Amino acid sequence: MLAGSAVAGAAAVATDPFDAPEAGAAAASPYFQHGVASGDPLPDRVVLWTRVTPQRDATPGSGRGGNVTVEWQVATDTRFRHLAARGTYRTGPAADHTVKIDATGLRPGTRYVYRFLFQGVASPVGRTRTAPAATAVPERVRLGVVSCANLQAGYFHAYRHLAQRDDLDAILHLGDYLYEYGPGEYGLGQDNVDVRPHVPAREMVSLADYRQRHAQYKQDPDLQWLHSKYPFIVTWDDHETTNDAWRDGAENHQPATEGDWATRRARAHRAYDEWMPVRMNGTAALGDGTRLFRSLRFGRLAELSMLDLRTYRDEQVAHPAVDARVSDPARTITGRAQLDWLKTALGTTQVQWKLVGNPVMIAPVTFAQLPTELLDPVNDVTHLLPRDGSPYNVDQWDGYTDDRRELFAHIRDRGIRDTVFVTGDIHSGWAADLPYDVATYPLGRSAGVEFVASSVTSNNLKDILGVPPRTGSVAVESAIRLANRHVRYLDFDSHGYSVLDVTSARVQMDWYVTGPRDQRGAGSTHAVSFQTLAGTNTISRAAGPVGGR
Amino acid sequence: MTDCVHRDPATPSPFLDGDPEREHLRPAAQRRTFLKVAGAGGAALTFSAALGAGRAAAGTRPAMTNRAYVIVVDGCRPDEIDSGLMPNLQALRAGGLHFPQGRSLPIMETIPNHVMMMTGVRPDRNGVPANAIYDRTLGAERTLELPTDLKATTLMTLARKHGMTAGSVLSKEYLYGIFGRNATYRWEPGPIVPVSGHAPDPFTMDAALSIVEEFDPHLVFVNLGDVDRVGHTDLTGGLSLELLRRTALVATDLQVKRFVDMLKATGRWARSLVVVLADHSMDWSLPHKVVSLSSPFDADPLLTGKVAIAQNGGANLVYWTGPASQRQAGVDRIVAIAKAQRGVLGVYDRARVPSLRLGPNAGDVVVYCRAGWRFSDPHVLANPIPGNHGHPTTEPIPFFLAGGHPAVPRGRTSPLVATTVDVTPTVARFLGLPFPTGRWAWDGRSLLG
Repeated sequence: MLAGSAVAGAAAVATDPFDAPEAGAAAASPYFQHGVASGDPLPDRVVLWTRVTPQRDATPGSGRGGNVTVEWQVATDTRFRHLAARGTYRTGPAADHTVKIDATGLRPGTRYVYRFLFQGVASPVGRTRTAPAATAVPERVRLGVVSCANLQAGYFHAYRHLAQRDDLDAILHLGDYLYEYGPGEYGLGQDNVDVRPHVPAREMVSLADYRQRHAQYKQDPDLQWLHSKYPFIVTWDDHETTNDAWRDGAENHQPATEGDWATRRARAHRAYDEWMPVRMNGTAALGDGTRLFRSLRFGRLAELSMLDLRTYRDEQVAHPAVDARVSDPARTITGRAQLDWLKTALGTTQVQWKLVGNPVMIAPVTFAQLPTELLDPVNDVTHLLPRDGSPYNVDQWDGYTDDRRELFAHIRDRGIRDTVFVTGDIHSGWAADLPYDVATYPLGRSAGVEFVASSVTSNNLKDILGVPPRTGSVAVESAIRLANRHVRYLDFDSHGYSVLDVTSARVQMDWYVTGPRDQRGAGSTHAVSFQTLAGTNTISRAAGPVGGR
Repeated sequence: MTDCVHRDPATPSPFLDGDPEREHLRPAAQRRTFLKVAGAGGAALTFSAALGAGRAAAGTRPAMTNRAYVIVVDGCRPDEIDSGLMPNLQALRAGGLHFPQGRSLPIMETIPNHVMMMTGVRPDRNGVPANAIYDRTLGAERTLELPTDLKATTLMTLARKHGMTAGSVLSKEYLYGIFGRNATYRWEPGPIVPVSGHAPDPFTMDAALSIVEEFDPHLVFVNLGDVDRVGHTDLTGGLSLELLRRTALVATDLQVKRFVDMLKATGRWARSLVVVLADHSMDWSLPHKVVSLSSPFDADPLLTGKVAIAQNGGANLVYWTGPASQRQAGVDRIVAIAKAQRGVLGVYDRARVPSLRLGPNAGDVVVYCRAGWRFSDPHVLANPIPGNHGHPTTEPIPFFLAGGHPAVPRGRTSPLVATTVDVTPTVARFLGLPFPTGRWAWDGRSLLG
């Protein structure tokens, strides 16, 4: 057993445990080294998460340590005198000693604190907030937006700066929450410098690998702070499993040396289920299914449909310049069931804004006007632009155009308005209209808009080019915008995060740029803000950022 | 200047209300007088009025001083308000309560949605599901334009019952027809544009200004038809150019400005609610994007000679006319055949989809086309009109509350759905009129809370 502070001492944190990362740090309790987290807020419930380390050698992925019982509490006050819900949870090595429960019976639109107790020792206190009631009309919903956080490539400044804010309802994580690579692979910049080497020191393939990698990320103080402060709403992209994953394989999976794909993916999904505060198959229970696409509603103001664009997709085409299969109706990025579900979700009139948590870009983008010598670096950033001169990124919806055609036709046929795709994946900031007919736009109309958040740390174009910000990328951005008139904003250079602010009048995205990835404590500055006004389905410039600390 | 005159017999009206020569046929208690007013443009305007109708007087109830104006920009798309071509409407919206989820209701046509605005109930209760129906008694398709087609009490009638006055300034002949003698003061649209059957917006607005300034009704219902009528005929619409339409947007925007300017200049603004909305929006199709159901129906042994179609642009109402004993089999066949047609979005057995709320006048099967398509029956050349509505893509409409009365929220946006059926309870709440209850309760809700 580990030594720890007694629960009676937990009252010492009663003033405000959220003022600074140190105050809520897992270091306060060796039983809870990986912090606490909450997620998927509904009006009456929220997922609570932690990992208990019942004995020193019960390390993640080790399989050591027996089954133990952990108590959990939800309260309306930081002294935990007014409990709203409580219970116990039995965990053990089969679940990697993770604790994941759905705390029910809560009131809508209410801020709560929560903690876990083991052997009389309290975990750090987490803060969360339930969603508004289904019939409520909230004035606003404000989300932090992040994606693509590669630990080897730098410090998670974005998480820290979001945690410093006090005006968010939740954090929207659009995927690539962690990366599969071993040290020396895909680090910072051209030379792949490992600012912080991955654990384990190899590409994650086994279940123990995935668990240990999750554990390493969960010990990052910035991420831990953000988890403790806000509920997360997450989806995965490819790197939670491995690069460029599709239904039956991945670019970075070699069956000859890494085994059966389905087995590897099941391990990745198992670890994700254990280590993330998310409902899979609609529940917080482990092992009861891996369906990640789901909806979360914020009263009558907005509904957020979270997509899984890796599990059901067909393989990316190898030679898109000459391969008409990019438009083959038989190929899919969503899978039939998910596309039907999404169409139904977008068709509701119960909410105004239809937000879509979208792991890869849906806006059509042609790179046809780019100089050939720049295609390679752009390809490195955007993952899959083929080196055969193809003008399209076929890892995005551009590689599965019939799904997009069907979805946009549905939006148009049904007179659906105010659809906003919020996207990650490509390590750059974008704001774009979604034209029904790219060729004639801006004549004609738009199906909605897309806001794309930049990466937390993963390399972008200037990193690949090895040039200072706003030098080599500017010409590329200009060329892309010239060839894609629906793209209103593009920044290939910056790392950071975004804040998405939803009111009935508009949805606004603020882009924030963080400082050098290899320097602890780097700052953050506001870069730009764009919005879509209600009913317009188009992007316009916003006056300035919302809220503040 | 106002006096009682007889209408020019050279322009006879098909409607009894507009025909003073036949007024003597009415019982004395129902007779109308005709009032001649100098219009804003200098021309004389003729209104029909209820016998004994005078100018509205401020009563003892506070709401009697309130004035409500419902302005329908017929066929306007909500995004057109933000197109840069309608700055006055955009400013008016910005100063009031905006409903981005404004929706037209089935069938997304002019007559049913104007009727829903003024009755507060859906077509299964007001009897008016579409512009055109197949009249089983007549054995022919016809327009629902007769006062007897309307089966529900209108807001205008309710206002009059409670001592208020109402005015109607409706640019389209069939709207003037169906609302009959509901309003205290009625403008008979004119001059009428041949084929379109509507009066241009400048004339309509002249009448609206005059009816307000001369009679000051508590409620005025205005339909501006140019945006819709020009949209229907805009051959560039299918190419996303919409050249004629854009011109109409600019012109109609200026007409609305005239109305608001008048309210402000005459001191009415501070006690006014101005409801601005459309009855439906507009969709354009190219000549090859046409769905014709007649041919496949005729080719089917069960259906041939036993089906009638009422065309409503992007919606077809299909009627089984064969033996009642074969009705369900016929309906099932209609549904199956219609679903198989390219360009068809949805097919509904009306009796089995009560949520449509259309009532038996809408026939047995409702068929919607996709965006960018239109129906054309009995053959593909029968409907050459590029701009159409009636199908779901034309549901979104501009919808906002403006006005200077303190009850009107300022600079607000609501995420809630607002539909045409909400107009009656909203205006009733503003005017202090009682809400019917029980089986007579309105289907809509007040947007003023």
